[in-house]
Amino acid sequence: MTTAPTAVDDTAITDVVAAEAPGLNRTWSKIAFWGIVIFVVGYCGVLLAAMGVQVFGNEKPCPLCMLQRYAMILATIPAMWIVADALRGKLTRARYASGLGMSIVAATCGGFESTRQILLHIASKTDPGYGSAVVGLHLYTWALITFVIVILFCGVALICSGSVIPEAPTDGALRTLARVIEIGFLAVIAINVVLIILLEGFSWVLPDDPTHYKLINDLGFGLH
Amino acid sequence: MDIIIMIVLMATAICAWRGLSRKVVMTLWVIGLVLMLGLFKYHVTSPLHLNF
Repeated sequence: MTTAPTAVDDTAITDVVAAEAPGLNRTWSKIAFWGIVIFVVGYCGVLLAAMGVQVFGNEKPCPLCMLQRYAMILATIPAMWIVADALRGKLTRARYASGLGMSIVAATCGGFESTRQILLHIASKTDPGYGSAVVGLHLYTWALITFVIVILFCGVALICSGSVIPEAPTDGALRTLARVIEIGFLAVIAINVVLIILLEGFSWVLPDDPTHYKLINDLGFGLH
Repeated sequence: MDIIIMIVLMATAICAWRGLSRKVVMTLWVIGLVLMLGLFKYHVTSPLHLNF
């Protein structure tokens, strides 16, 4: 006579690991939290750099460039969600895992978009690439590198999610820092909203090679 | 379309930040993803003739 297998709950697994290596889980849980925070900060930096090139370098992003920004934001929202839930003390293993999965899906889609743009410029033998290069690589090539890093990071975090889930600091200053980073990410998205409204104007989609802020022209000011 | 996508992404991020229900955040996120992929399909107009 056989008996049905019993369900193993997450808490039991965590307790066994914690008993085998005291202190390991909590340390790794804190590292996991700051790893996710660095993920959010990293993409905030990348998006700010892209906006800096757009505004100060006067290089308007093409439609594929913008699509990669959307993929970066889509990949970072679940990470910010994990940070926010951890700060509220409501982060569950299921929500952590689904957040990482969402980031992997968004980063994979972004990787397709970057790859398409890279191949587009490889296919044209005379095309030097869109925009100027940064440290020898074009921005869409850097974008592909960041998407691959995100996929690897989230994959490793998922592998470890059986015994490690992010734990937010209880200390006031570090909690404040994490909250500032959350708000910083929201601010980056808000700036992007303004920039895309300026760039697209009253059109349905962006032109293939934008050269000016269309809304300003659409309103009759004619400034570039 | 780009403006709509950015507004959906902004709404998704605010909902996640405010701690709204998982269903709301996931639904908005999926809408944003589908819109982005739809726009990607719109901009991909021709095959690339590459030989490796």
